[in-house]
Amino acid sequence: MTTHMLSKRISADTPRATHSPARHPRPGVRPRRGATRTHPALWLFPLPAVALYIVFFALPTAQAFQYAVTDWDGLSAAFNSVGLGNFGTMATNDDLFHNATTNSLKFLLVVVVLQTGLSLLLALLLQRNSRATSALRALYFLPAILSSVSVAFVWKFMYDPNFGLINQALDTVGLHGLQSAFLGNESAAIYWVALTQVWAHTGQLMVIYIAGLQQIPRELYESADLDGAGRWQRFRFVTWPMIAPTTAIVIAYTTIQSFKAFDLILGLGGNPPKGSLDILSTRIYATFTNSQFGYAAAESIVFMLIIALVSVLQRRAVKLTQRV
Amino acid sequence: MSNDAVGTPLNRRRVVQLLGSTGAGLFAAACAGPGAGSGGGGASSAAPSPAASGAKVDGGISFAHWRAEDKEVFKKIADSFGKAHPSADVRQDISPSNDYQSSALQRIRGGSVGDVFTAFRGAQFVDMAKAGLFTDLSDQGWRSRFDPKYIADGRSGGKQLGFPYQVVFNMPIVNKEVVDKASHGKAPEDWDSFLSLCDRLKSQGLVPIAWPGGEPGNAGQLFNSMVMNNAPSDDMCTKIEAGTYRCTDDWFLKTLKQYAQLRPYFQRKATGTAVEPCQQIFASGKAAMLATGSYDIAAVRKLGARFDIDLLSPITTAADKARYAGTYNATFILGVNSRSEHQQAAVTFVEFLSTPRVAGRYANGTKQHVSVKGVEYTDPDLRAIAPWLEKKTLPAPRFQFNDLDIRAAVEGACTAVVGGTSPEQAAEKAQHVVDQKRSK
Repeated sequence: MTTHMLSKRISADTPRATHSPARHPRPGVRPRRGATRTHPALWLFPLPAVALYIVFFALPTAQAFQYAVTDWDGLSAAFNSVGLGNFGTMATNDDLFHNATTNSLKFLLVVVVLQTGLSLLLALLLQRNSRATSALRALYFLPAILSSVSVAFVWKFMYDPNFGLINQALDTVGLHGLQSAFLGNESAAIYWVALTQVWAHTGQLMVIYIAGLQQIPRELYESADLDGAGRWQRFRFVTWPMIAPTTAIVIAYTTIQSFKAFDLILGLGGNPPKGSLDILSTRIYATFTNSQFGYAAAESIVFMLIIALVSVLQRRAVKLTQRV
Repeated sequence: MSNDAVGTPLNRRRVVQLLGSTGAGLFAAACAGPGAGSGGGGASSAAPSPAASGAKVDGGISFAHWRAEDKEVFKKIADSFGKAHPSADVRQDISPSNDYQSSALQRIRGGSVGDVFTAFRGAQFVDMAKAGLFTDLSDQGWRSRFDPKYIADGRSGGKQLGFPYQVVFNMPIVNKEVVDKASHGKAPEDWDSFLSLCDRLKSQGLVPIAWPGGEPGNAGQLFNSMVMNNAPSDDMCTKIEAGTYRCTDDWFLKTLKQYAQLRPYFQRKATGTAVEPCQQIFASGKAAMLATGSYDIAAVRKLGARFDIDLLSPITTAADKARYAGTYNATFILGVNSRSEHQQAAVTFVEFLSTPRVAGRYANGTKQHVSVKGVEYTDPDLRAIAPWLEKKTLPAPRFQFNDLDIRAAVEGACTAVVGGTSPEQAAEKAQHVVDQKRSK
C-alpha cells in the first residue's frame, strides 16, 4: 500500500485528527436578548489589571514611539525632533544594527530548528510514564531551572580554548584539528551561543510537548494501527496534526526567547559583547548605554516589528505544514 | 449597582468611557517631552562643607560603586565612619562593573541609591556631569589632600565635581623573576627588544603574553600601551572620535601591524579567552605577562601567584621616540549626589575617605594605589610598583572615547587582527563604523 493510498484510508476511516471545539459564543458577539447580562459592577474588576497594563506596558510603548522621532540623549531636558531620521539611518547607515539583525536571525534559525526538533524528539521518547522516563525528564529539565547567568558561566568555561572541557576532550582523543576558539571565532561565535541556548531550554519545551502528546486520544492511534499505519505514518497523520497548537506555542515561545537572549549573550560575551555576538537586544542596550535614547527607542520599535513579523510568518508556516 | 447610593448610574458605557479617558490621559502624559520630568540636566550645586557648617552628620547613606572585591574593606571603613558619627551609617550598593557602566546613571539619578557614588573616568563621568548628578566639591578644604595630577579627571566646567580615588596602571603586569632573567635585567626600551624578549620567553616554553581577547573590556587595556607612543598626539582617541584622525592613518595601521606581530606570543586561540583563564595561566607561572592591568594583581595573588610582580609596557617605537613608559588611570571618581537627602553625611563620608589613614587602609586592603597624598603603602605589591607613580605615564587613552560604539570598533580592529584579519581590512572596517557613528 502506498503512502498516498494509506493517507486516503486514514482520512476516510480514522476519526479526524482535527479540533472540533464545542460551539461557544464568540467573544465580542452580543448575546441574544434575554440571555444572562453582565452586571455592570463586574466591569470594575479588570480596572486594576488594566491600569497596571497601561502604566507598565502601554505607556512605555507609547513613549518609545514618541522618543523614536527625537535625538534625545536621555539626560538633557532639550531634544530635537528628527522625524523618521532615526529609522532612515538604521536602514541605510548603521552597520552595527545590520550586523546585530543578521546575528539575531542566525541565532533564531539555529535555536528554533534545533530546540523545537530536539524537544519534540525527547518528548516522543519520554512520553510514557515510568520511573526511568521520569528521571530522564527531570535530568533534561534541570538546565531550565538554572539562571541564564549561571548557564553562561558554566559554558564560558566549557568554551575556553585553553582550559575548556571541549578542547581538552578533543585534545585527549587526538582531534586537535577540531579544536576551536569558539566564542573567539568571528564567523561561528553566534552558533556556539545558540547551542548553549538550545542546551538550556530544550528540557523546558520537552515538558510542554509531553503535555501536548499526552492529550492525544489513544483511539486515534488504535484506529491508525488498524489501518496498518507504521511509526512514521502514525506520527505524520496523527501526532503531528494533533500537536499543532503545542508546536505553535513552542515555536512562538522559542522565537521570542531567542530574540531576547540578552543575559546569556552578556554572560558569555561580556558587556558590551563583541560584534560577532551582538544581537538586537544587546545592540539596543548598548545604544541606551551610549546615551542615545531616541535612537535606541527607534531600534526597539523595529525590534518589536521584527518579532511580530517573524511570529506571524511562523504561525502561517506551521499551519501550512499541517494542512499538507 | 446600576443605580448606586450616589445616584450615578454605572453601566458598561460609562466604564468604557472611564477606561478610555484614563488611557487618553496616560497617553497624553507619555507625550510630554522626553526629559521633562525630574532628572533633566542641570548645573551642579555647591556642597555643604562639613568642617565649616558644623552641622550634625546623620542619616543612612548609600554608597554606590562597582568594586565587589572591595566590599569587606569598605565595610570596615564604613564601620569606622559609623563610630566617628554615631547618627550616620553607610550602606554599600554594589553592581558588577559592566552593569554599573550601563545603568548606574539612571539608578543614581532616581536618588534612592548613591548618596555617595562613583564614576568611571571618561564617558560615564561626562554623562553624569551632564545630567547634573554631581555636587560641586570645589570649595572643600580637604581637596588639597589629593594629588592634583590625579584629580584633574574629576573636573568639569571649571568645577571639581568628583575625586578619582584609585590609581591603576592599565598596562601588562609581569612575572618579575622570569622577565628579568629573559631580559638580563634590562626592560625592553623599543619594539624590537620587546619582540626579542617575547621570543626568549617563548623558547623557554612559556606563554609570553596572556591576553583576554575574548572580553572586550579587558582586551582593550593593551590598546593603551600600543598607541601611547605610536600616536602623533596624546589625545589620539579624542581625535579619532572627532574625525581628525582616522583608523586608516599610518600610525594606527602601524599599531595594527604590531598587533599582528604579537600573534605568536599570545596564548593559543587568544581571541576566545576570557580574563579568568588568563589570570590562571599567569598565576601558575605558565605566562610571563598578563596584559590587563595592576587591578588584577589582587586576583592573581588569590590564585596562588607567589612570584614578584612588576609592570611592563611594550614600547612600540624606537627608544628615542618613546614619550611614555606606561599608562595609568585615575578612576573610581567619588562624587556626592546632588539629589541626596543626606548631603551633609555624604560629603563627610567622602572627606573621611580622603584622610591619608583611611585611604591607606583602602589602598593596602585592596592592592590599589590611591590619589591621596601622604599614604603609606605597606602592601608588598603596592610598594614594588610604587616607583611607577613617579614615571612618565599617560592617562589611559581608551577612556578618551565618549562614544562606546566607536571605542568598541577601534579596539575591535585590534582583536580582529590578532584573530587573523589583515590590518588594512580591520582598519577600514573600524573607520567605516566611526564614520557612520559620526554622521548620526
